[in-house]
Amino acid sequence: MDRRFKERLEARFGEQLTGPIRQRNDETEMRIGPGDVVPVMTALHDEPELRFEFLSDLAGVDTGVVMQVVYHLWSDTTSDWLRVIADGLLRDDPRAPSVTFLWKGAEWMEREAYDMFGITFEGNRDLRRIYMPPDYQSFPLRKDFYLADDASRSPGGGVRPMERTHTPSNAPTTALVRRGSV
Amino acid sequence: MTTTTERPSDDPRVKLDRDLGLFEPVPPYPPRTEREAEFYTLGDGQMFINMGPQHPSTHGVLRVVLKLDGEKVVDLDPVLGYLHRGVEKLCENADYHQAICYTDPLEYVSSLFTEWSPVIAFEKLMDVKVPRRAEYIRVLSSELNRIASHALFLGWMALDLGGLTPILWSFIERDEIVDMLAALTGQRMLFNYFRIGGVNGDLNHEFMSRLGDWMSRAAEHIEAGNGLLNENEIFVRRMRGLGTIDQKTALRMVMTGPNLRATGVPFDVRRAHPYSVFPELDFDIPTRQEGDCLARYLLRMDEIKQSLRIIDQCLHQMPDGPIMAKLPRLLRPRPGRAYAAVEGPRGQLSTYAVSDGTDQPFRMRIHDPSFIHLQSVGLMMPGHLVADTMAIMASLDPIMGGVDK
Repeated sequence: MDRRFKERLEARFGEQLTGPIRQRNDETEMRIGPGDVVPVMTALHDEPELRFEFLSDLAGVDTGVVMQVVYHLWSDTTSDWLRVIADGLLRDDPRAPSVTFLWKGAEWMEREAYDMFGITFEGNRDLRRIYMPPDYQSFPLRKDFYLADDASRSPGGGVRPMERTHTPSNAPTTALVRRGSV
Repeated sequence: MTTTTERPSDDPRVKLDRDLGLFEPVPPYPPRTEREAEFYTLGDGQMFINMGPQHPSTHGVLRVVLKLDGEKVVDLDPVLGYLHRGVEKLCENADYHQAICYTDPLEYVSSLFTEWSPVIAFEKLMDVKVPRRAEYIRVLSSELNRIASHALFLGWMALDLGGLTPILWSFIERDEIVDMLAALTGQRMLFNYFRIGGVNGDLNHEFMSRLGDWMSRAAEHIEAGNGLLNENEIFVRRMRGLGTIDQKTALRMVMTGPNLRATGVPFDVRRAHPYSVFPELDFDIPTRQEGDCLARYLLRMDEIKQSLRIIDQCLHQMPDGPIMAKLPRLLRPRPGRAYAAVEGPRGQLSTYAVSDGTDQPFRMRIHDPSFIHLQSVGLMMPGHLVADTMAIMASLDPIMGGVDK
Protein backbone atom coordinates (compact mmCIF):
# COMPACT_ATOMS: atom_id res chain seq x y z
CA MET A 1 0.00 0.00 0.00
CA ASP A 2 1.49 3.29 -1.14
CA ARG A 3 0.29 6.01 1.28
CA ARG A 4 2.20 8.80 -0.43
CA PHE A 5 0.63 7.91 -3.76
CA LYS A 6 -2.77 8.55 -2.21
CA GLU A 7 -1.66 12.00 -1.11
CA ARG A 8 -0.28 12.75 -4.56
CA LEU A 9 -3.55 11.76 -6.19
CA GLU A 10 -5.58 13.84 -3.74
CA ALA A 11 -3.41 16.86 -4.38
CA ARG A 12 -3.58 16.48 -8.15
CA PHE A 13 -7.22 15.47 -8.72
CA GLY A 14 -8.82 16.97 -5.60
CA GLU A 15 -11.86 18.59 -7.19
CA GLN A 16 -12.49 15.82 -9.73
CA LEU A 17 -12.87 13.02 -7.19
CA THR A 18 -16.44 11.99 -6.45
CA GLY A 19 -15.55 9.82 -3.46
CA PRO A 20 -12.70 9.18 -1.05
CA ILE A 21 -9.56 7.47 -2.35
CA ARG A 22 -9.54 3.97 -0.88
CA GLN A 23 -6.55 1.69 -0.45
CA ARG A 24 -6.56 -2.01 0.26
CA ASN A 25 -3.88 -4.67 -0.25
CA ASP A 26 -1.89 -3.41 -3.23
CA GLU A 27 -4.62 -1.37 -4.86
CA THR A 28 -5.51 2.31 -4.84
CA GLU A 29 -8.98 3.24 -5.93
CA MET A 30 -10.31 6.61 -7.08
CA ARG A 31 -13.79 7.53 -8.28
CA ILE A 32 -14.54 10.15 -10.86
CA GLY A 33 -17.58 11.21 -12.86
CA PRO A 34 -17.89 10.01 -16.46
CA GLY A 35 -17.40 13.59 -17.67
CA ASP A 36 -13.91 13.73 -16.16
CA VAL A 37 -12.59 10.55 -17.77
CA VAL A 38 -10.74 12.31 -20.58
CA PRO A 39 -8.84 14.94 -18.53
CA VAL A 40 -8.07 12.51 -15.69
CA MET A 41 -6.86 9.68 -17.92
CA THR A 42 -4.82 12.07 -20.06
CA ALA A 43 -3.17 13.49 -16.95
CA LEU A 44 -2.46 10.01 -15.58
CA HIS A 45 -0.98 8.90 -18.89
CA ASP A 46 1.02 12.00 -19.81
CA GLU A 47 2.30 13.64 -16.65
CA PRO A 48 5.89 12.60 -15.91
CA GLU A 49 5.32 12.12 -12.18
CA LEU A 50 2.37 9.77 -12.82
CA ARG A 51 3.37 7.96 -16.08
CA PHE A 52 0.56 5.43 -16.23
CA GLU A 53 1.52 3.95 -19.58
CA PHE A 54 -0.11 0.56 -19.15
CA LEU A 55 -3.84 0.12 -19.32
CA SER A 56 -4.11 -3.23 -17.61
CA ASP A 57 -7.82 -3.66 -17.87
CA LEU A 58 -11.05 -1.95 -18.83
CA ALA A 59 -14.29 -3.40 -17.52
CA GLY A 60 -17.92 -2.47 -17.38
CA VAL A 61 -19.80 -3.07 -14.13
CA ASP A 62 -23.52 -3.02 -13.50
CA THR A 63 -24.21 -2.40 -9.83
CA GLY A 64 -27.95 -2.79 -10.33
CA VAL A 65 -28.41 0.94 -9.65
CA VAL A 66 -25.84 2.59 -11.88
CA MET A 67 -23.26 1.49 -14.43
CA GLN A 68 -19.54 1.92 -14.01
CA VAL A 69 -16.51 1.74 -16.24
CA VAL A 70 -13.49 0.49 -14.32
CA TYR A 71 -9.96 1.13 -15.53
CA HIS A 72 -6.90 -0.55 -14.04
CA LEU A 73 -3.59 1.13 -14.66
CA TRP A 74 0.04 0.31 -13.98
CA SER A 75 2.95 2.68 -13.61
CA ASP A 76 6.53 2.40 -12.40
CA THR A 77 6.03 5.44 -10.16
CA THR A 78 4.02 3.47 -7.60
CA SER A 79 3.89 -0.06 -6.28
CA ASP A 80 0.08 -0.14 -6.41
CA TRP A 81 -2.43 -0.94 -9.08
CA LEU A 82 -4.48 2.14 -9.74
CA ARG A 83 -8.19 1.56 -10.16
CA VAL A 84 -10.14 4.44 -11.68
CA ILE A 85 -13.89 4.00 -11.43
CA ALA A 86 -15.99 6.20 -13.70
CA ASP A 87 -19.12 6.06 -11.60
CA GLY A 88 -22.74 7.02 -12.00
CA LEU A 89 -23.52 6.12 -15.61
CA LEU A 90 -27.29 6.07 -16.12
CA ARG A 91 -28.63 2.58 -16.51
CA ASP A 92 -31.13 3.64 -19.17
CA ASP A 93 -28.52 5.25 -21.37
CA PRO A 94 -25.00 4.55 -20.13
CA ARG A 95 -22.44 6.78 -21.86
CA ALA A 96 -18.76 7.26 -21.25
CA PRO A 97 -15.99 8.81 -23.32
CA SER A 98 -13.65 6.42 -25.07
CA VAL A 99 -9.98 6.15 -24.12
CA THR A 100 -8.90 4.90 -27.54
CA PHE A 101 -7.13 8.21 -28.16
CA LEU A 102 -4.61 7.16 -25.48
CA TRP A 103 -4.67 3.40 -25.87
CA LYS A 104 -5.78 2.16 -29.26
CA GLY A 105 -5.94 -1.32 -27.74
CA ALA A 106 -8.84 -0.30 -25.55
CA GLU A 107 -11.03 -0.49 -28.63
CA TRP A 108 -11.95 -4.15 -28.29
CA MET A 109 -12.32 -3.93 -24.54
CA GLU A 110 -14.80 -1.10 -25.06
CA ARG A 111 -16.57 -3.13 -27.70
CA GLU A 112 -16.84 -5.93 -25.18
CA ALA A 113 -18.25 -3.59 -22.52
CA TYR A 114 -20.72 -2.30 -25.11
CA ASP A 115 -21.70 -5.83 -26.07
CA MET A 116 -22.16 -7.02 -22.50
CA PHE A 117 -23.55 -3.88 -20.80
CA GLY A 118 -24.70 -1.57 -23.58
CA ILE A 119 -22.31 1.17 -22.49
CA THR A 120 -21.79 3.60 -25.37
CA PHE A 121 -18.22 4.83 -25.62
CA GLU A 122 -18.21 8.16 -27.40
CA GLY A 123 -15.21 8.41 -29.69
CA ASN A 124 -14.71 4.70 -30.31
CA ARG A 125 -14.96 4.38 -34.07
CA ASP A 126 -15.76 0.66 -34.13
CA LEU A 127 -18.39 0.25 -31.44
CA ARG A 128 -20.32 -2.82 -32.55
CA ARG A 129 -21.06 -6.13 -30.91
CA ILE A 130 -18.03 -8.36 -30.60
CA TYR A 131 -19.18 -11.69 -29.10
CA MET A 132 -22.92 -11.79 -29.55
CA PRO A 133 -24.56 -11.97 -32.98
CA PRO A 134 -25.29 -8.63 -34.64
CA ASP A 135 -29.08 -9.03 -34.39
CA TYR A 136 -28.94 -9.71 -30.68
CA GLN A 137 -30.78 -7.17 -28.56
CA SER A 138 -29.98 -7.85 -24.90
CA PHE A 139 -26.93 -7.07 -22.83
CA PRO A 140 -26.02 -10.33 -21.11
CA LEU A 141 -23.92 -9.14 -18.19
CA ARG A 142 -26.49 -6.67 -16.93
CA LYS A 143 -28.02 -7.63 -13.62
CA ASP A 144 -31.54 -7.73 -15.04
CA PHE A 145 -30.51 -10.38 -17.59
CA TYR A 146 -31.35 -13.78 -16.22
CA LEU A 147 -29.50 -16.84 -17.36
CA ALA A 148 -32.55 -18.30 -19.08
CA ASP A 149 -31.79 -17.61 -22.69
CA ASP A 150 -33.70 -14.71 -24.17
CA ALA A 151 -32.22 -15.15 -27.60
CA SER A 152 -35.67 -15.94 -28.97
CA ARG A 153 -36.64 -12.27 -28.66
CA SER A 154 -34.10 -11.18 -31.29
CA PRO A 155 -35.36 -10.63 -34.87
CA GLY A 156 -33.60 -13.77 -36.03
CA GLY A 157 -35.45 -15.83 -33.48
CA GLY A 158 -32.14 -16.68 -31.86
CA VAL A 159 -30.97 -18.30 -35.05
CA ARG A 160 -28.70 -16.44 -37.41
CA PRO A 161 -29.68 -16.27 -41.09
CA MET A 162 -26.53 -18.18 -41.94
CA GLU A 163 -27.69 -21.15 -39.93
CA ARG A 164 -31.18 -21.19 -41.40
CA THR A 165 -30.12 -21.73 -44.99
CA HIS A 166 -30.97 -25.39 -45.23
CA THR A 167 -34.26 -25.44 -43.37
CA PRO A 168 -37.30 -26.05 -45.55
CA SER A 169 -39.29 -22.96 -46.37
CA ASN A 170 -42.45 -24.12 -44.63
CA ALA A 171 -40.78 -25.12 -41.37
CA PRO A 172 -41.85 -23.11 -38.31
CA THR A 173 -39.19 -20.71 -37.13
CA THR A 174 -37.50 -21.28 -33.83
CA ALA A 175 -38.98 -18.03 -32.55
CA LEU A 176 -42.52 -19.31 -33.02
CA VAL A 177 -41.71 -22.56 -31.30
CA ARG A 178 -40.12 -20.84 -28.32
CA ARG A 179 -42.81 -18.19 -27.98
CA GLY A 180 -45.49 -20.83 -28.14
CA SER A 181 -43.94 -23.02 -25.50
CA VAL A 182 -43.03 -20.31 -22.96
CA MET B 1 -39.86 -16.31 -58.11
CA THR B 2 -40.12 -18.87 -55.33
CA THR B 3 -41.87 -22.18 -55.67
CA THR B 4 -44.92 -22.69 -53.55
CA THR B 5 -45.24 -26.46 -53.87
CA GLU B 6 -44.78 -28.36 -50.63
CA ARG B 7 -41.71 -30.53 -50.54
CA PRO B 8 -40.45 -32.90 -47.84
CA SER B 9 -37.54 -31.48 -45.87
CA ASP B 10 -35.11 -34.13 -47.10
CA ASP B 11 -35.62 -33.17 -50.72
CA PRO B 12 -32.26 -31.87 -51.96
CA ARG B 13 -33.92 -29.43 -54.36
CA VAL B 14 -35.21 -27.45 -51.41
CA LYS B 15 -31.76 -25.99 -51.03
CA LEU B 16 -31.88 -24.48 -54.48
CA ASP B 17 -35.02 -22.50 -53.77
CA ARG B 18 -33.20 -19.76 -51.92
CA ASP B 19 -29.91 -17.90 -52.08
CA LEU B 20 -27.16 -19.86 -50.50
CA GLY B 21 -24.63 -17.22 -49.46
CA LEU B 22 -23.34 -19.36 -46.61
CA PHE B 23 -19.77 -18.25 -47.16
CA GLU B 24 -20.50 -14.65 -47.99
CA PRO B 25 -17.92 -12.53 -46.13
CA VAL B 26 -19.96 -9.32 -46.33
CA PRO B 27 -22.49 -9.21 -43.49
CA PRO B 28 -26.17 -9.25 -44.52
CA TYR B 29 -27.03 -5.96 -42.79
CA PRO B 30 -26.02 -2.31 -43.28
CA PRO B 31 -22.75 -1.24 -41.62
CA ARG B 32 -23.13 -0.27 -38.00
CA THR B 33 -20.01 1.81 -37.51
CA GLU B 34 -17.66 4.07 -39.39
CA ARG B 35 -14.94 1.46 -39.34
CA GLU B 36 -17.24 -1.32 -40.57
CA ALA B 37 -18.45 0.86 -43.44
CA GLU B 38 -14.87 1.64 -44.40
CA PHE B 39 -13.80 -1.98 -44.25
CA TYR B 40 -16.69 -3.45 -46.20
CA THR B 41 -16.30 -1.00 -49.09
CA LEU B 42 -14.15 -2.47 -51.81
CA GLY B 43 -11.58 -0.31 -53.55
CA ASP B 44 -10.43 -0.74 -57.11
CA GLY B 45 -9.24 -4.28 -57.79
CA GLN B 46 -9.80 -5.42 -54.22
CA MET B 47 -11.59 -8.53 -53.03
CA PHE B 48 -12.67 -10.22 -49.80
CA ILE B 49 -11.57 -13.62 -48.64
CA ASN B 50 -13.14 -15.36 -45.71
CA MET B 51 -10.65 -17.27 -43.57
CA GLY B 52 -12.20 -19.57 -41.03
CA PRO B 53 -14.11 -20.16 -38.83
CA GLN B 54 -12.91 -23.72 -39.28
CA HIS B 55 -9.43 -22.96 -40.49
CA PRO B 56 -6.72 -25.02 -38.78
CA SER B 57 -4.32 -22.10 -38.39
CA THR B 58 -6.76 -19.98 -36.42
CA HIS B 59 -5.99 -22.01 -33.27
CA GLY B 60 -9.62 -22.40 -32.40
CA VAL B 61 -12.72 -21.05 -34.05
CA LEU B 62 -11.98 -17.64 -35.47
CA ARG B 63 -13.20 -16.03 -38.67
CA VAL B 64 -11.03 -13.43 -40.30
CA VAL B 65 -12.30 -11.45 -43.27
CA LEU B 66 -9.31 -10.44 -45.36
CA LYS B 67 -9.42 -7.58 -47.82
CA LEU B 68 -6.96 -8.34 -50.57
CA ASP B 69 -5.33 -6.46 -53.36
CA GLY B 70 -3.86 -9.19 -55.51
CA GLU B 71 -2.08 -11.34 -52.99
CA LYS B 72 -1.36 -8.50 -50.57
CA VAL B 73 -3.51 -8.05 -47.48
CA VAL B 74 -4.89 -4.51 -47.31
CA ASP B 75 -6.95 -4.81 -44.16
CA LEU B 76 -8.64 -7.43 -42.06
CA ASP B 77 -11.57 -7.78 -39.73
CA PRO B 78 -11.56 -10.56 -37.14
CA VAL B 79 -15.04 -11.86 -36.32
CA LEU B 80 -15.20 -13.28 -32.82
CA GLY B 81 -17.78 -15.03 -30.75
CA TYR B 82 -17.78 -18.56 -32.13
CA LEU B 83 -16.49 -19.90 -28.80
CA HIS B 84 -18.27 -17.45 -26.53
CA ARG B 85 -19.59 -19.24 -23.46
CA GLY B 86 -20.23 -16.30 -21.16
CA VAL B 87 -17.76 -17.40 -18.52
CA GLU B 88 -18.09 -14.13 -16.61
CA LYS B 89 -21.84 -14.57 -16.29
CA LEU B 90 -21.43 -18.20 -15.26
CA CYS B 91 -18.94 -17.17 -12.60
CA GLU B 92 -21.37 -14.60 -11.22
CA ASN B 93 -23.90 -17.40 -10.81
CA ALA B 94 -21.52 -19.79 -9.10
CA ASP B 95 -19.93 -19.66 -5.67
CA TYR B 96 -16.30 -18.74 -5.17
CA HIS B 97 -14.95 -22.29 -5.40
CA GLN B 98 -17.00 -23.13 -8.48
CA ALA B 99 -15.95 -19.96 -10.27
CA ILE B 100 -12.35 -21.16 -10.39
CA CYS B 101 -13.12 -24.23 -12.44
CA TYR B 102 -15.07 -22.16 -14.97
CA THR B 103 -11.90 -20.21 -15.68
CA ASP B 104 -9.91 -23.37 -16.47
CA PRO B 105 -10.95 -23.81 -20.11
CA LEU B 106 -10.19 -20.19 -21.01
CA GLU B 107 -6.60 -20.79 -22.01
CA TYR B 108 -6.83 -24.50 -22.24
CA VAL B 109 -3.11 -25.03 -22.84
CA SER B 110 -2.08 -23.07 -19.75
CA SER B 111 -4.96 -23.59 -17.37
CA LEU B 112 -2.97 -23.10 -14.19
CA PHE B 113 -2.50 -19.43 -15.01
CA THR B 114 -6.14 -18.76 -15.72
CA GLU B 115 -6.92 -20.35 -12.34
CA TRP B 116 -4.26 -18.39 -10.60
CA SER B 117 -5.47 -14.86 -11.22
CA PRO B 118 -9.02 -15.35 -9.85
CA VAL B 119 -7.58 -17.29 -6.93
CA ILE B 120 -5.33 -14.38 -5.99
CA ALA B 121 -8.19 -11.92 -6.43
CA PHE B 122 -10.47 -13.96 -4.17
CA GLU B 123 -7.70 -14.33 -1.59
CA LYS B 124 -7.33 -10.56 -1.56
CA LEU B 125 -11.08 -10.19 -1.03
CA MET B 126 -10.93 -12.56 1.93
CA ASP B 127 -7.52 -11.46 3.29
CA VAL B 128 -6.25 -15.04 3.25
CA LYS B 129 -2.61 -15.72 3.98
CA VAL B 130 -1.43 -18.55 1.73
CA PRO B 131 1.13 -20.98 3.22
CA ARG B 132 4.58 -20.66 1.72
CA ARG B 133 4.74 -24.26 0.62
CA ALA B 134 1.53 -23.78 -1.36
CA GLU B 135 3.01 -20.70 -3.03
CA TYR B 136 6.11 -22.64 -4.02
CA ILE B 137 4.03 -25.49 -5.40
CA ARG B 138 1.99 -22.99 -7.41
CA VAL B 139 5.11 -21.44 -8.89
CA LEU B 140 6.65 -24.83 -9.63
CA SER B 141 3.58 -26.27 -11.34
CA SER B 142 2.75 -23.11 -13.27
CA GLU B 143 6.26 -22.73 -14.62
CA LEU B 144 6.03 -26.31 -15.85
CA ASN B 145 2.79 -25.36 -17.50
CA ARG B 146 4.47 -22.35 -19.09
CA ILE B 147 7.09 -24.61 -20.66
CA ALA B 148 4.38 -26.94 -21.96
CA SER B 149 2.54 -23.98 -23.46
CA HIS B 150 5.63 -22.54 -25.11
CA ALA B 151 6.55 -25.96 -26.46
CA LEU B 152 3.14 -26.20 -28.04
CA PHE B 153 3.56 -22.70 -29.46
CA LEU B 154 6.77 -23.76 -31.15
CA GLY B 155 5.14 -26.78 -32.72
CA TRP B 156 2.00 -24.97 -33.83
CA MET B 157 3.89 -22.10 -35.35
CA ALA B 158 6.08 -24.41 -37.39
CA LEU B 159 2.98 -26.34 -38.43
CA ASP B 160 1.28 -23.14 -39.62
CA LEU B 161 4.33 -22.42 -41.73
CA GLY B 162 4.21 -25.90 -43.24
CA GLY B 163 6.80 -27.75 -41.15
CA LEU B 164 5.55 -30.99 -39.67
CA THR B 165 8.56 -32.17 -37.66
CA PRO B 166 8.74 -29.59 -34.82
CA ILE B 167 5.25 -30.36 -33.54
CA LEU B 168 6.20 -34.00 -33.14
CA TRP B 169 9.26 -32.97 -31.17
CA SER B 170 7.54 -30.40 -29.03
CA PHE B 171 4.72 -32.80 -28.21
CA ILE B 172 7.30 -35.09 -26.62
CA GLU B 173 8.17 -32.36 -24.11
CA ARG B 174 4.59 -31.31 -23.66
CA ASP B 175 3.41 -34.86 -23.07
CA GLU B 176 6.01 -35.47 -20.42
CA ILE B 177 5.07 -32.28 -18.60
CA VAL B 178 1.37 -32.93 -18.94
CA ASP B 179 1.75 -36.45 -17.56
CA MET B 180 3.73 -35.01 -14.68
CA LEU B 181 1.01 -32.49 -13.94
CA ALA B 182 -1.57 -35.26 -14.22
CA ALA B 183 0.28 -37.10 -11.47
CA LEU B 184 0.18 -33.94 -9.36
CA THR B 185 -3.32 -32.62 -10.09
CA GLY B 186 -5.23 -35.58 -11.50
CA GLN B 187 -5.91 -33.99 -14.89
CA ARG B 188 -3.93 -33.54 -18.05
CA MET B 189 -5.42 -30.28 -19.30
CA LEU B 190 -8.05 -28.62 -17.12
CA PHE B 191 -6.35 -29.02 -13.78
CA ASN B 192 -8.61 -27.24 -11.29
CA TYR B 193 -5.69 -27.50 -8.89
CA PHE B 194 -5.40 -24.10 -7.22
CA ARG B 195 -7.75 -23.47 -4.36
CA ILE B 196 -8.55 -20.31 -2.46
CA GLY B 197 -5.90 -20.44 0.24
CA GLY B 198 -3.61 -23.04 -1.24
CA VAL B 199 -3.51 -25.99 -3.61
CA ASN B 200 -5.52 -29.16 -3.89
CA GLY B 201 -2.82 -31.75 -3.19
CA ASP B 202 0.73 -31.98 -1.96
CA LEU B 203 3.69 -33.03 -4.08
CA ASN B 204 3.67 -36.79 -4.48
CA HIS B 205 6.25 -39.40 -5.27
CA GLU B 206 5.22 -40.01 -8.86
CA PHE B 207 5.33 -36.32 -9.72
CA MET B 208 8.72 -35.83 -8.12
CA SER B 209 10.31 -38.84 -9.75
CA ARG B 210 8.96 -37.86 -13.19
CA LEU B 211 10.10 -34.28 -12.66
CA GLY B 212 13.60 -35.27 -11.56
CA ASP B 213 13.86 -37.61 -14.50
CA TRP B 214 12.75 -34.93 -16.94
CA MET B 215 14.84 -32.10 -15.45
CA SER B 216 18.02 -34.09 -15.97
CA ARG B 217 17.58 -33.96 -19.73
CA ALA B 218 15.11 -31.10 -20.27
CA ALA B 219 17.63 -28.42 -21.23
CA GLU B 220 19.32 -30.74 -23.69
CA HIS B 221 16.01 -31.82 -25.27
CA ILE B 222 14.68 -28.31 -25.64
CA GLU B 223 17.95 -27.17 -27.16
CA ALA B 224 17.74 -29.99 -29.70
CA GLY B 225 14.16 -29.08 -30.54
CA ASN B 226 15.09 -25.43 -31.03
CA GLY B 227 17.93 -26.40 -33.31
CA LEU B 228 15.34 -27.71 -35.75
CA LEU B 229 14.06 -24.18 -36.32
CA ASN B 230 16.80 -21.80 -35.18
CA GLU B 231 19.24 -23.17 -37.70
CA ASN B 232 16.71 -23.59 -40.46
CA GLU B 233 17.43 -20.86 -42.96
CA ILE B 234 14.04 -21.06 -44.65
CA PHE B 235 12.29 -20.55 -41.33
CA VAL B 236 14.56 -17.74 -40.14
CA ARG B 237 14.44 -15.79 -43.38
CA ARG B 238 10.69 -16.16 -43.59
CA MET B 239 10.12 -14.92 -40.04
CA ARG B 240 12.62 -12.09 -39.93
CA GLY B 241 11.02 -8.70 -40.52
CA LEU B 242 7.55 -10.19 -40.66
CA GLY B 243 4.71 -8.57 -38.69
CA THR B 244 6.92 -5.94 -37.12
CA ILE B 245 5.44 -3.77 -34.39
CA ASP B 246 7.38 -1.02 -32.66
CA GLN B 247 7.57 -0.26 -28.97
CA LYS B 248 5.28 2.78 -28.96
CA THR B 249 2.56 1.04 -30.96
CA ALA B 250 2.78 -2.06 -28.79
CA LEU B 251 2.18 0.08 -25.69
CA ARG B 252 -0.69 1.88 -27.39
CA MET B 253 -2.19 -1.49 -28.27
CA VAL B 254 -1.86 -2.43 -24.57
CA MET B 255 0.07 -5.57 -25.48
CA THR B 256 1.79 -7.52 -22.71
CA GLY B 257 3.88 -10.62 -22.26
CA PRO B 258 6.33 -12.02 -24.79
CA ASN B 259 4.81 -9.99 -27.61
CA LEU B 260 5.57 -6.76 -25.78
CA ARG B 261 8.98 -7.88 -24.57
CA ALA B 262 9.93 -8.74 -28.15
CA THR B 263 9.73 -4.99 -28.86
CA GLY B 264 12.18 -4.17 -26.06
CA VAL B 265 9.93 -3.29 -23.09
CA PRO B 266 11.05 -5.34 -20.07
CA PHE B 267 7.53 -5.54 -18.61
CA ASP B 268 6.82 -8.76 -16.78
CA VAL B 269 4.17 -8.83 -14.06
CA ARG B 270 6.35 -11.18 -12.02
CA ARG B 271 8.82 -8.32 -11.61
CA ALA B 272 6.74 -5.22 -12.31
CA HIS B 273 4.11 -6.07 -9.74
CA PRO B 274 5.39 -9.12 -7.88
CA TYR B 275 2.98 -11.71 -6.56
CA SER B 276 3.43 -15.06 -4.83
CA VAL B 277 7.11 -15.85 -4.06
CA PHE B 278 8.63 -14.37 -7.20
CA PRO B 279 10.56 -11.68 -5.25
CA GLU B 280 12.57 -14.51 -3.67
CA LEU B 281 13.44 -16.18 -6.94
CA ASP B 282 16.28 -15.29 -9.24
CA PHE B 283 15.50 -15.10 -12.94
CA ASP B 284 15.98 -12.72 -15.86
CA ILE B 285 13.44 -11.10 -18.13
CA PRO B 286 14.62 -11.73 -21.67
CA THR B 287 13.87 -8.94 -24.14
CA ARG B 288 14.50 -8.42 -27.84
CA GLN B 289 14.45 -5.24 -29.87
CA GLU B 290 13.21 -6.26 -33.31
CA GLY B 291 9.51 -6.78 -32.59
CA ASP B 292 9.01 -9.19 -35.50
CA CYS B 293 7.84 -12.79 -35.67
CA LEU B 294 11.35 -14.17 -35.25
CA ALA B 295 11.92 -12.08 -32.12
CA ARG B 296 8.65 -13.28 -30.62
CA TYR B 297 9.60 -16.88 -31.31
CA LEU B 298 13.16 -16.57 -29.96
CA LEU B 299 11.95 -14.73 -26.88
CA ARG B 300 9.67 -17.59 -25.91
CA MET B 301 12.54 -20.01 -26.29
CA ASP B 302 14.61 -17.81 -23.93
CA GLU B 303 11.73 -17.84 -21.47
CA ILE B 304 11.77 -21.63 -21.36
CA LYS B 305 15.34 -21.46 -20.06
CA GLN B 306 14.32 -18.98 -17.36
CA SER B 307 11.40 -21.21 -16.38
CA LEU B 308 13.82 -24.12 -15.96
CA ARG B 309 15.89 -21.90 -13.65
CA ILE B 310 12.82 -21.06 -11.58
CA ILE B 311 11.80 -24.72 -11.31
CA ASP B 312 15.29 -25.61 -10.17
CA GLN B 313 15.20 -22.96 -7.45
CA CYS B 314 11.72 -24.01 -6.34
CA LEU B 315 12.89 -27.57 -5.89
CA HIS B 316 15.85 -26.43 -3.79
CA GLN B 317 13.96 -23.89 -1.68
CA MET B 318 10.69 -25.83 -1.21
CA PRO B 319 9.72 -25.30 2.45
CA ASP B 320 7.81 -27.77 4.61
CA GLY B 321 4.42 -27.00 6.03
CA PRO B 322 0.73 -27.00 5.22
CA ILE B 323 -0.58 -26.57 1.67
CA MET B 324 -3.94 -25.01 2.55
CA ALA B 325 -4.88 -22.10 4.73
CA LYS B 326 -7.64 -22.73 7.27
CA LEU B 327 -10.85 -21.47 5.73
CA PRO B 328 -14.54 -22.07 6.28
CA ARG B 329 -16.22 -24.20 3.65
CA LEU B 330 -18.70 -21.50 2.67
CA LEU B 331 -16.87 -18.33 1.75
CA ARG B 332 -18.62 -15.00 2.25
CA PRO B 333 -16.07 -12.22 1.88
CA ARG B 334 -17.10 -8.78 3.08
CA PRO B 335 -18.09 -6.33 0.35
CA GLY B 336 -15.11 -5.02 -1.56
CA ARG B 337 -13.17 -5.06 -4.76
CA ALA B 338 -9.94 -6.81 -5.67
CA TYR B 339 -7.75 -6.95 -8.72
CA ALA B 340 -5.01 -9.47 -9.39
CA ALA B 341 -2.77 -10.07 -12.36
CA VAL B 342 -0.40 -12.90 -13.17
CA GLU B 343 2.10 -13.30 -15.96
CA GLY B 344 0.79 -16.08 -18.16
CA PRO B 345 2.65 -17.58 -21.11
CA ARG B 346 0.84 -15.11 -23.41
CA GLY B 347 0.93 -12.06 -21.22
CA GLN B 348 -0.87 -10.49 -18.34
CA LEU B 349 -3.92 -12.41 -17.21
CA SER B 350 -5.98 -10.53 -14.69
CA THR B 351 -9.18 -10.73 -12.73
CA TYR B 352 -11.26 -7.98 -11.20
CA ALA B 353 -13.62 -9.38 -8.59
CA VAL B 354 -16.35 -7.49 -6.79
CA SER B 355 -17.95 -8.95 -3.69
CA ASP B 356 -21.31 -7.88 -2.28
CA GLY B 357 -21.09 -10.00 0.85
CA THR B 358 -22.80 -13.13 -0.51
CA ASP B 359 -21.15 -16.42 -1.41
CA GLN B 360 -21.09 -15.56 -5.14
CA PRO B 361 -18.92 -12.96 -6.84
CA PHE B 362 -21.05 -9.94 -7.75
CA ARG B 363 -18.93 -9.21 -10.79
CA MET B 364 -15.96 -11.11 -12.10
CA ARG B 365 -14.08 -9.61 -14.99
CA ILE B 366 -11.46 -11.72 -16.73
CA HIS B 367 -8.88 -9.99 -18.85
CA ASP B 368 -7.18 -12.26 -21.32
CA PRO B 369 -4.01 -11.37 -23.24
CA SER B 370 -4.96 -13.34 -26.36
CA PHE B 371 -7.94 -11.05 -26.86
CA ILE B 372 -5.69 -8.00 -26.77
CA HIS B 373 -3.06 -9.44 -29.05
CA LEU B 374 -5.51 -10.57 -31.66
CA GLN B 375 -6.67 -7.02 -32.30
CA SER B 376 -3.13 -5.88 -33.09
CA VAL B 377 -2.99 -8.36 -35.99
CA GLY B 378 -4.84 -5.68 -37.95
CA LEU B 379 -1.86 -3.37 -37.53
CA MET B 380 0.81 -5.92 -38.39
CA MET B 381 -0.78 -7.46 -41.42
CA PRO B 382 -1.26 -4.76 -44.07
CA GLY B 383 1.28 -5.12 -46.86
CA HIS B 384 2.07 -8.77 -46.18
CA LEU B 385 1.03 -11.73 -48.30
CA VAL B 386 -1.99 -13.92 -47.57
CA ALA B 387 0.23 -16.82 -46.56
CA ASP B 388 1.85 -14.63 -43.90
CA THR B 389 -1.46 -14.20 -42.10
CA MET B 390 -0.95 -17.59 -40.51
CA ALA B 391 2.67 -16.89 -39.61
CA ILE B 392 1.87 -13.58 -37.94
CA MET B 393 -1.13 -14.91 -36.08
CA ALA B 394 0.77 -17.96 -34.91
CA SER B 395 3.65 -15.82 -33.66
CA LEU B 396 1.24 -13.89 -31.42
CA ASP B 397 0.05 -17.21 -29.99
CA PRO B 398 -3.63 -16.44 -29.37
CA ILE B 399 -5.84 -19.09 -27.78
CA MET B 400 -9.42 -18.71 -28.93
CA GLY B 401 -10.79 -20.12 -25.69
CA GLY B 402 -9.39 -17.05 -23.99
CA VAL B 403 -10.29 -14.61 -26.74
CA ASP B 404 -13.95 -15.59 -26.77
CA LYS B 405 -14.40 -16.31 -23.07
